[in-house]
Amino acid sequence: MRSLRLLYAQTRMDFVWYFARDGEMIFWSLAFPIFFLFVFSFALGSGSTRTTSTFLVPGLIGAQVLSSGFWGIGAMLATFREKKVLRRIYLTPLPAWIFFTALVLYRMALLAFQAVLLAVVGALVFKVRVIGNPFEILTILALGATTFVSLGAVVGALVRSTESANNVASVLTVPLAFVSDAYFPIDRFPSSVAAALRMLPSTEFVDALRGIAMYGDSLAHYTTWIIVLALWAVAGTAVTARYFRWV
Amino acid sequence: MASEPAIAVDHLVKRFGTVTAVDDISFSVAPGTIFGLLGRNGAGKTTTLETCIGLTKPTSGRVRVDGLDPAKRADFEKLRRLVGVQLQATSLAEKARVREILDIFAAYYGLRSQPQELAARVGLADKLDRFVGKLSGGEQQRLALALALQHDPPILFLDEPTAGMDAFGRRILWAEADRMRAAGKTLVLTTHYIEEAERLCDEICIVQAGKIVAQGTPAALVSAHGGDASITFLARGFEPSERLAGLGRWTPAGDRWALAVHGEPGRALGAIVSLANDSGIAIDDLDLRRPGLEDAFLAITGETLDEDAAEAVA
Repeated sequence: MRSLRLLYAQTRMDFVWYFARDGEMIFWSLAFPIFFLFVFSFALGSGSTRTTSTFLVPGLIGAQVLSSGFWGIGAMLATFREKKVLRRIYLTPLPAWIFFTALVLYRMALLAFQAVLLAVVGALVFKVRVIGNPFEILTILALGATTFVSLGAVVGALVRSTESANNVASVLTVPLAFVSDAYFPIDRFPSSVAAALRMLPSTEFVDALRGIAMYGDSLAHYTTWIIVLALWAVAGTAVTARYFRWV
Repeated sequence: MASEPAIAVDHLVKRFGTVTAVDDISFSVAPGTIFGLLGRNGAGKTTTLETCIGLTKPTSGRVRVDGLDPAKRADFEKLRRLVGVQLQATSLAEKARVREILDIFAAYYGLRSQPQELAARVGLADKLDRFVGKLSGGEQQRLALALALQHDPPILFLDEPTAGMDAFGRRILWAEADRMRAAGKTLVLTTHYIEEAERLCDEICIVQAGKIVAQGTPAALVSAHGGDASITFLARGFEPSERLAGLGRWTPAGDRWALAVHGEPGRALGAIVSLANDSGIAIDDLDLRRPGLEDAFLAITGETLDEDAAEAVA
C-alpha cells in the first residue's frame, strides 16, 4: 500500500516536473505530431486526405510510442546518469522498481494525451473515425509502450553519455518510424524489403494498432505479433536489468 | 580499541584505467567524530568518500561503514538508510519546487515530511515554493544538505559541502556540524578549505596524490608540522636579556625585533613585555602569529591550498 502511494507520488512528480511545467516539452510532444498529421495528410496522400489520415493517425501514435521509449526513457536515463540525478536517487531507499515504473507510467500518461489529441484532431479535421474496441486499443497501446520503453531502457543502460544516447535515440526513432509503416505504407518498398520490414517489432506494433483501432480487427487476430512484442519487452528488460548502472 | 569504528578503510586502492585515484589509503573514524579529508581537487578525496557510500567499488582493499560492506548489495540496502549524503553536485529536476523535493525525499524514507522545519534549518524557509532551477548555487547546496539530513542519519558524508556556498551557507553547515557533534553523530567531509577543516574537524587526513600524507587532530598536525610561532614588535633601545635569548631565534632589523618560538608563545611574550616594562622601553606594533593548519599543510605537502590554487588545479 505504501509502495503504491509512493509510486503514485513519484509518477505525479515526474509528470509535473518533466512535462506539465516544461513549455518546450509540451510543445514538442503535442504540437509536433499534429503538425506531422497535417503536413503528411496533404503531402503524402495519394487518395483522399481522409484515407491518408486514417492511415496516419495510428502511425503517428506508433511513432510517438517509439520516441517515448528511445527518447523519453533511453535518452532520459542517460541524461539522468550524466547529470548525477541517478546516483542521488540510488542513495535513497526508493526501490528501483518504483523509480522505473513511475518513469514508464509518466510516459504512458503522456502517450495517452498524444493519442487522444491525434484521434480528436484527426476526427475533427479529417473525419477520421476510430472504430476499434477501446479496451483492445488500450491493450495494444500499453503493450507497444511497454515493449519500446523496455527497448529504450536498453539504450539508457548501454550508452554512457547523454550525447551518444541522444544520437542513438534519433537514429533509432526517426528512420525506424519511416520503415515501420508509420508514415507511409511499406508496400511501396520492393516486396522482399517489405517482408523483412514486417519482422520489425515497430512494424508489427504499428500495424496491429492500426488494424485494431481503424479497421476493427480483433486483438486475437494479432496474437502472434503480440507474443513477439511481449518477447521483445522481456528481452529488453532482461538486458536493462543486466547492464543498467546508476553511476 | 574501545568501540567499533563507525568507518574503517583498509588499504583502499581505486584505479580508473591507468589512473590510480586512491593509492593504498587506510583510516578509521570513531563514532561521534567529525573527520575531514583535506586536500586539493583530484587528490582522491571524493573517490574515497564515494567508496564509503557504495557509489564506487574498490579495486582492492576493504571498506566498512558501521560494519557494513558498501560494495555488497544487501549491506548497501541497509547502509542507505543509515547514512546521509551530500554529493559534490546534486542535480535535481529544475522544474521541481523545493517543497516537492523535500516531500518526495521524505516519502523515499517513509517519513512524514516536515518541509517547513527542514527548510528553516538550512535557511530556505522562504524558498519553499521556488523552482530548484531558480535557486542560486549556494541555495542548491543547502537544499542538498537538507536532503542529507532528512532522515536524521547517525552517519553523514559530505563531499565539498561548502564549495560555492557564501558565508551564510557556511555558517549553516558549521552549525549543523556542531549539532551533529553534540548529538554524538559521525561526520565525514572532504574539503579543500583549510579554515573549514580547522574549524570543524576533530581529526584530519591530509590527502595528496591518492595517499594519506598526514593524519591527526588539527592541533597535533599544527604542532608537529606547523613550524614556529613568531612575535614581532617595534622597540627602540631594546636588547634581549640572556634569559630572553634562550626563548627562541631572534632576528633584529633596526628597531624591529622578531622572535621565532617553538611551541606555545605565551611565556616568551610575557617575558618580553616584562623586560620592556622593567627597563622603561615602549613596545609598539606588537604582532603575534601562531602557525596554523595552512602552515602545516604547506610543510607536509609542499603545496598551498588557497582557493585560487585549488581552482587552478580543478
